[in-house]
Amino acid sequence: MKKEAIIEDPYLEYIDLANIGGDQAAAPPLPQPAQPKPGEFKLIGKYTPRVDGRKIVTGEALYTHDLVFEGMLIAKILRSPHASADVVSVDLGPALSYPGVKAALKLKDGRVKWAGEPIAAVAAVDERTAEESLKLIKVEYKVLPHVVSVDKAMAQGAPLVQNEGNVAKSNEYTRGDAEKGFKEADVIFEQTYKTSWEVHQPTETHGSLAKWDGDNLTVWDSTQAIQSVRDGLARSLAMPASRIKVIKHYMGGGFGSKLGVNDHTIIAARMAKETGRPVKILLTRQENSDCVGYRPTAWMTVRAGAKKDGTLTALTLKNYNCGGIGRGDRCSEPFTDVYKCANVKVEEYAVFVNTCGSRATRAPGHTQATFGLEGFMEELAARLSLDPLELRLKNYSTKDKGDTGTPYSTKGLEQCYKLGAEKIGWSRRNKKPGAGNGTVRTGLGMASQIWPGAGVPGTLADVKLYNDGSVEVDCGTQDIGTGTRTHIAIVAAETLGLEPRDISVHIGNSDLPWAPISGGSLTVPSVAPAVRDAALKAAEYLKGLAAKKLNVAPAEIVLEDKKAVSKTDPGKSIDLKELARTIPRPMPFHGERANMTPGFAYQTFGAHFAEVEVDTETGKIKVKKVVAAHDIGRVLNRQTAESQVIGAITQGMSAALFEEKIMDPETGTMLNPNLHDYKVATAMDIPEIVPIFADVIDDRLNNLGTKGLGEPPRIPASAVIANAVFNAIGVHVREIPMTPARVLAALKRKEAGK
Amino acid sequence: MKNFQYGKPASLEQAAAFLGPGDPNVFVMGGGTDLLGEIKEGLVEPAVVIDLKAVPGLAYIKKDKDGVAIGALTTIADLAEDPGIQKDYRVLHEAAAVVASPQLRNVGTVGGNLCQRPRCWYYRDARIVCNKKGGVKCYAEKGRNKYHAVFAGGLCWAVYPSDLAPALIALDAKAVILSAKGERTVPLAEFYMPPIVNVRKENVLNGQEIVKEVRVPQAKANEKSAYLKFIERGSWDFAVVSAAVKAVLSGTTIENIRIVCGGVAPVPWRMTKAEEALKGRKATEAAARQAAKSALKDASPLAENGYKIELLETIIARAVGSLGK
Repeated sequence: MKKEAIIEDPYLEYIDLANIGGDQAAAPPLPQPAQPKPGEFKLIGKYTPRVDGRKIVTGEALYTHDLVFEGMLIAKILRSPHASADVVSVDLGPALSYPGVKAALKLKDGRVKWAGEPIAAVAAVDERTAEESLKLIKVEYKVLPHVVSVDKAMAQGAPLVQNEGNVAKSNEYTRGDAEKGFKEADVIFEQTYKTSWEVHQPTETHGSLAKWDGDNLTVWDSTQAIQSVRDGLARSLAMPASRIKVIKHYMGGGFGSKLGVNDHTIIAARMAKETGRPVKILLTRQENSDCVGYRPTAWMTVRAGAKKDGTLTALTLKNYNCGGIGRGDRCSEPFTDVYKCANVKVEEYAVFVNTCGSRATRAPGHTQATFGLEGFMEELAARLSLDPLELRLKNYSTKDKGDTGTPYSTKGLEQCYKLGAEKIGWSRRNKKPGAGNGTVRTGLGMASQIWPGAGVPGTLADVKLYNDGSVEVDCGTQDIGTGTRTHIAIVAAETLGLEPRDISVHIGNSDLPWAPISGGSLTVPSVAPAVRDAALKAAEYLKGLAAKKLNVAPAEIVLEDKKAVSKTDPGKSIDLKELARTIPRPMPFHGERANMTPGFAYQTFGAHFAEVEVDTETGKIKVKKVVAAHDIGRVLNRQTAESQVIGAITQGMSAALFEEKIMDPETGTMLNPNLHDYKVATAMDIPEIVPIFADVIDDRLNNLGTKGLGEPPRIPASAVIANAVFNAIGVHVREIPMTPARVLAALKRKEAGK
Repeated sequence: MKNFQYGKPASLEQAAAFLGPGDPNVFVMGGGTDLLGEIKEGLVEPAVVIDLKAVPGLAYIKKDKDGVAIGALTTIADLAEDPGIQKDYRVLHEAAAVVASPQLRNVGTVGGNLCQRPRCWYYRDARIVCNKKGGVKCYAEKGRNKYHAVFAGGLCWAVYPSDLAPALIALDAKAVILSAKGERTVPLAEFYMPPIVNVRKENVLNGQEIVKEVRVPQAKANEKSAYLKFIERGSWDFAVVSAAVKAVLSGTTIENIRIVCGGVAPVPWRMTKAEEALKGRKATEAAARQAAKSALKDASPLAENGYKIELLETIIARAVGSLGK
């Protein structure tokens, strides 16, 4: 009963979201269907409300937290209160004999490296019983010294967090000769920028429910990745993936913290097996705050050489990432790719401390990097007395690797700059940062973004036609809250001449055709082209049937307004419903996301512009307005796309002004693991937000020319506020969150002339 | 969370009788916005919770010749929206209007707000046993303390979080306290106790007593008041610093003034030196800034909360400067 299998945190492996699906050589190129002409679309690119919006806001939609099965047990995890200790013994006995407890598991032997690490778990008839019984588990620890702050971890004599030492090289990159580049420069400038630990804080905490039927396991999980959870469970439980089904219908956000199988999911599955009853485990807000990751910190020292006209001659980054016991993120790509520069050098290090490992957080690496790179560009522009926009245009690249690599298939960043600058009224900015008067200062800032978001070739989707005329789409993707059901319905309806509500969308079940994780801005550019491919095949089939009925050539037929109509003789038409009666059986059409045209680089681009007010006596920042212009190719649904932008800007502003995981040096625990002390922006903080899309269609990318948007608007969202604050007060705060204390300190730094 | 018994008293006297034996495991509850959090966080494990909302007639705002009497179960939202309070006691209106969030103001009560426990993150973490919980040290003193006290720390550097308390102290209000033995009246200025008197609790209630009512004296014709609260985000935040000011003015000259600050000490903190310095001066931002600056020399900030002194200087200056407006 008390098997002692130790669960390793599967999250410790670095998830390189920016490069998922980047290996285009893996699959042979498939023929691309014909591109629709502009203006040909009735639904795509327009405003469509969510097909499941009503269900969600009325509470009808069921989330993992809502699920209840007969005989279901509730499991809870006992976690280490110590940040560093050896587990000497664990006695489950008293918990197992507590009335109502059905199972207990020991989860840890040996070294505990962070406060919150799972030690044991119990499953009981209800939550209260599980909670009470946890208190009866006797754990003997040998407490060891810990370190939870980055600077202390890097100091001589700090307690060792990982055997390799507390600092380890994690990434390096060189092109050209930076030293030579610095020699060619008129100006050399160096600054250090810091970001804090930002916790995902999804509205719905993590949770899983496991239920066995003989040798088959079904898991309902609040996850961004049903397919990965299945594969991870198969590995952890050493059972065939074919016997596992993972279901996720609705979820309250993930932001990168729910990308794979979690230890609590494995615990639920094991305890369900042992007890023969369904087991549900929901993390508390505290566990969600301090046990399932966060965005790692970055301490970025940026150095550049530039000519007087702004031309970059060298750019270097030295970065210390801290992702707790994990390796943190890589922040190099914006530095190596955004600006034209021949001489670039990046060195990155991981710093280890005794907190849980970090996890991918909405544009991992790029978000931190952009705070450093774009803050630096704004300061460099001031140093060179240049318009920050002019400086960026001066170093504009059209090929990746800072204009030294593969040409971008399309790059709409210049359009984004133009559209955004015009909308914010860029000429209103202080020509010299801090030039205004009075206690409350106003400023404008900008920041750019780059992110792949090209999607994953090989994504599958089926369109199924029934002989009553109804249409189903099957895809093993999941909606993490972005509106995936609506996007699928739009593509299928557009292609088949129907309305979105005519399409039954089946997603959120890992038995359905494969689709990637919903992370890395992958869902739309992976799933939508696969659905389009399947729907185009279904449309061809229907056109063939209609052609026979109407006695015209198939090429003559268009599908619109729920009819098959002859283009040349609109009098010849047949209702699709009627046409479907001739279908002998439900007809499936398989779709696949094809490869991109080789020889080009595919990225999303964007630029944000912000207006802020800063009270120079209190250090309080009020964000007035943010204009966000993005090149994400073809927009599928403008309504949900705008929602993404509004959410991302809110989140980025919140990180810029408020959010910080605070660790106690003495106890090694998180001091603000709740939604009061961990401050997330309230409705009262949200500025006017203006989303703009550049509508640059990339025909080489996929059959819809569409890119991802989940991450792009988050990337510059903190940096742009810091830059606007710089323009307002004439000093860059260089560290987020920009709390009143930090803003006041920056103003003092300015007074002292530093 | 342990099971507890839920007591629904028919009268305040009955509620007081429940408390009579002074059982530390019997808790009274107003809106419950603080107590229920403490129970869930495992900070307290009541055997009995007596719900004062069950008692009829405890929510009222009554004007009489002596001033105004506010029932302890009056919600903060009702206090904030009362036109009489708004007219005569601007400081109290402004303080009530910025408590927490609209949802919490709809539920939270005046009595509960005055008796709430501190928000110190060490105190609120059930795993950490600090002085306030019978331990042997204050973890904030050498720990993470950006929200902690700059005055009167020592045994405990938690700040007192109430917005209403500084406002009511500025107005010279009194608390009417009931127990099985009878009633007593305590000026709110003497209601709170610094850690040096008793680090385990924040007020003079002896465990058998309930705050029944708050009485605010009649406002003078030339009395002006204001409450200014500095919070980090737009809503739902306790004061980083706050200032409640009430002055009797002759023209624009200050005859006398009371300045009571929140978020800076374990109790609502009077700035008596600044009050003295402002007597006879014009009620301007500049004069108040000068007075505050000099009074704030007595502050003893910790490693991460020195910015509170700068903030407090500005908040006091702006509050005093707004009196004539």
